[in-house]
Formats: sequence, C-alpha cells, structure tokens
Amino acid sequence: MKKRTDIPFSSDSSKFFIPWLSMFMVFIATLILAIAIVVYSSVQSWTSNISGTLTVQIPTYTDKGESREEQINKDIEMTLTLLRSSDGITGATLLSDSQMATLMEPWLGQSDTINELPLPKIIDVNADPNNFPNIRRLKADLFDQVPEAILDSHRAALSDLVAFFENMVHLIAFILLLILITTALSVIYVTKSSMSVHQKVIELIHMMGASDFYITIQFAMRSFKLTLIGSLIGFLLAIPIMVLFDYFLRQMSSSFVLESTLNPAQWLILISIPFLTAVLSFLTAYRTVSKTLKQTL
Amino acid sequence: MVTNKLSTPIAEFNGVSFKYPTGPEVLKDIQLSLQPGSFYFMTGESGAGKTSLLSLLYLNNMPTKGRIRLFGYALDTLTREAKAQIRRQIGVVFQDYRLLDHLNAFDNVALPLRISGTREQDIKKHVRELLAWVGLEKQLDKYPHELSGGEKQRVAIARAVINRPRLLLADEPTGNVDDAMAKRLIYLFLELNKLGTTTVIATHNHNLIKHFGFPRLHLSHGHIEAVEKNNSTNKG
Ligand SMILES: Nc1ncnc2c1ncn2[C@@H]1O[C@H](COP(=O)(O)OP(=O)(O)O)[C@@H](O)[C@H]1O
Ligand SMILES: [Mg+2]
Repeated sequence: MKKRTDIPFSSDSSKFFIPWLSMFMVFIATLILAIAIVVYSSVQSWTSNISGTLTVQIPTYTDKGESREEQINKDIEMTLTLLRSSDGITGATLLSDSQMATLMEPWLGQSDTINELPLPKIIDVNADPNNFPNIRRLKADLFDQVPEAILDSHRAALSDLVAFFENMVHLIAFILLLILITTALSVIYVTKSSMSVHQKVIELIHMMGASDFYITIQFAMRSFKLTLIGSLIGFLLAIPIMVLFDYFLRQMSSSFVLESTLNPAQWLILISIPFLTAVLSFLTAYRTVSKTLKQTL
Repeated sequence: MVTNKLSTPIAEFNGVSFKYPTGPEVLKDIQLSLQPGSFYFMTGESGAGKTSLLSLLYLNNMPTKGRIRLFGYALDTLTREAKAQIRRQIGVVFQDYRLLDHLNAFDNVALPLRISGTREQDIKKHVRELLAWVGLEKQLDKYPHELSGGEKQRVAIARAVINRPRLLLADEPTGNVDDAMAKRLIYLFLELNKLGTTTVIATHNHNLIKHFGFPRLHLSHGHIEAVEKNNSTNKG
C-alpha cells in the first residue's frame, strides 16, 4: 500500500535536523555514560576491597647502597610481630619472591632481573575494614621498633582518588542532564516550527473533526522515528570508540586503576540510550503538540 | 428516541453576535433555528457575513455574544473531544476549497473517512463511487495543481459529503462550474438531504435560487431574515 500521511512532513526541515541532533547527542551521551560506568564500578570495587591497601616496605639496602643482609630477617620478624599484635589488623604476610615477580611483571616483564634489583621486602597487611587501624599510631610504633620500615597507606591516597572519581561521576550526570534538556528543547523547537509549517493542514483536519490525539500522535511518531534513526547511528558510532578505549585500558590494566570491561547489565544500560532518547523525543513532541492544540477552539 | 432527535433542531442560534478581533460586529443578535432535514440557500451581498455565519456553524469561530446549540448541545459547554465528535458530523465545502496539495483527489476525499477511522476497503469503495458521481472517475490520481477550478470544487464537495454528514455547509459551492454542473451538484446535495442531511448553501447564483426555490436565509447589515418559499415567476 502507498505510504500516506495527512501531514506532509517530508516538506519540512525536521527530517534533517532531528536525526543529526540525536545522532550527536546519543554519541556523546553513550561515551560519557560508558566512562561513568567504568569509573563508578571501579570505585565500587576499590572501596569494597580494602585488603592490599596497607603495606610495609623494608629496604634491603641502606641509603648509601650497603646491603642490610644481616639485619633484614630480624626487621621482618619484628615488623610482623608488631603488626599482628596491633589493633585492627587481621593478618600480615611477607610477599614471596615469586609474588614480587608477579607484582613487578608489568614493569619488568618475565625475567630474572628481579633477583638482581635492590627491591625492598614487602609485607602485605590485611586490615579490618570495620575497625581500620590508626595509621598515625601504627607509623609511630613502627618507627620506634624498626626505623627503616616504611608503612604505605594507600587508603589515604585512594580516598582522594575515590572522591575525585565520584565528583567526575557527578559531573558526567550533570552533562547527561544537559544533553537531555538540550535534546528536549530542540525537539520542542523543531515540533513547533513543524506545526507552523503545517498549520493550514492541521487547521483543516481539526475542522474535519480530527481529535487532538489523531494529530498529536502523527507528530509524536514522526519525532520518535527520526530520533531513533539518528540515535541508533550515534550509538553505533560510539561502539568502535568504546572498543578502542577498552583496548587501551586492557593494555594498562595491571598498573591502571580502572576496570575495563562492561558487564551485560551495563551494556544494557548503554543500549537503552538510543531507545530512551527516542521515547523522550516522542513524549516531548506529544506534549508540545497537545499543548499547542489546546490553544485552539 | 428517533422522534426526539428529529424534534431537536440541528442548529439553534440564540442572540448570537459575532465580530473578528479587528473590525466591527459582523453578525448582530441572530436568532435562528435549523430543523432536521431542512435545505436552505443563504444569500446576501459580498461581505454580508455568510462565510462568518457558516464558520460559527462549523465551530471555527465562537460567538462573541449569545449561545449556539448544535445537535442539541450547547457549544460553550463541550469538551474538546465532544467538539471533535460534532465536527465529524458536519461537512463543509470551503469557498477556497482547501484541498491538501500533497494528496491526490482520492486521498483528499478519503480524508474525513480516515479521520473517523473507516476501514481502508470501505474507503476505497465509497470514494471511488462518489468521485465517479461527480464526474471525476478519471482524476482519482490527480493532485490539486493538476485539476481545473471546477474539478477542484467537485473534489471539495465530494470530500464534504463523503461522510454522510448530519449538517452540510457549502460556501459558494457552484462558483466555478457551469449552470449544468451547478444543478447536478445541487441534486447531489438534495439526494443527501433526502437521507436526512440538513443543508445550508451560501450562493450568489440567482438561476439556482430561482430553479430550486428553497427557503432562503438572507443576511444584510448583520441581521438574518428568513424568506420562505422563493416562488419563481416561471413556475405556475
Ligand atoms: N478573518 C477576518 N478578520 C477580520 N475581518 C474579517 C475576516 N473575515 C471576514 N471579515 C470581515 O467580516 C465581514 C463579513 O465577511 P464574510 O463573512 O466573509 O462575508 P461574505 O461571506 O458574506 O462575503 C466583512 O466585512 C469582512 O471584511
Ligand atoms: Mg464569503
């Protein structure tokens, strides 16, 4: 059957404007939402996994480069004893050479050079997340007994990082909101100008007894289709960029703090963007036309 | 129920005045009652207010004073949907046709049926029949810009009557056709009228007025005057 519309939409400019606009908006929205998801889920996993955030380093060489061979085992013993008896610490273990090698692999590769390097001994400390040790007191105690030992608390640094990324997620949410508002305002504008282009036709079919719904749904469906086309293209264009981004994250993954892969639920959120945008466009056009029509008799 | 409906006037004007936002009063204190099944010519000089009065009847304008009832309903109390329902029962032939340029003759005539949700098969049958009746069976696919003035007028008429309206309003519907076609069109209106459509035709065509001799609504200086049978001299 021949395609027929009462309202000659093909003669107005909305058919160019809306797809381009929604393509661009969905492209941007998909990318920054993907970033937000990656950052958010990484932050979630850091904060829920506190182990490994406390370590003690015991240098194997002095500042002057002399070996501390004789002293080191005593230092390790004393440090472990101190840590294990401290409040809020549930365990302390010395990393074996092979564990160290694994840890250093991203920087050094799989080689034996590790044994020739003046690497410190590292003690991994497990802290009770519900009763986190007082870092300042622990440092003071450690300094008293093993002055060479260095306590690294990643937690302080991490909490700054977490705060930074949380702010970033908020900023992204704000940008998404702006994108949403811009899209809605543009749809309102385009719908209104389309209505004035087709005013004569609208008046006529209104006079013939077309219900508001009859007219409104045509504009809304039109807006929905145009937005969906543009949005899907925008989404498809964002995919290669996400894949590339993912690739780079994986390259850096052992040293970098972000988790690269998206899980299926997160993909679902991203895939819903073009459809939600089209629905937003539908509802906005619907509301705009129906408000405008209500001003007529 | 049926008799009740018959006794309710199709249209009732009660002290209706009307003016455009700019300009003087066009219609003044009009009293009018159109009985179901009646057939009127509406006359009056150019600028007398014929088009304005029709526009009140097809709900394109609201009176500035007074009250209009259509099919028994006071217009100022109706919801938008109820007004749309009333509009669907009124056919209008506009003075300037108002055909949609992007639709061919067939689709223009089909428009009221589509608005009222008629099935496509029925639309096809009815529209073809009616366009054949007004002599346009070969112009179904023609767009308005490909039709002559008279052909456009016939498309406009077909579109107004396709829905078998309860009230048919025609604004100078025979202005662009010869007398023979004008009579043919009035006969079409009459056929519809026999089926119960109340009809008001604004016209300047004295030949038609004389030939058919229907009661007349005459507008002048904003007032309306009902002229009963316009007995023509050559009848007797
Ligand atoms: N849209 C309008 N705005 C202002 N004045 C109008 C409008 N339409 C018609 N008029 C004026 O109203 C009067 C009646 O016009 P109209 O109803 O078209 O008369 P007729 O159809 O009998 O020729 C005229 O004086 C005309 O100039
Ligand atoms: Mg007129």
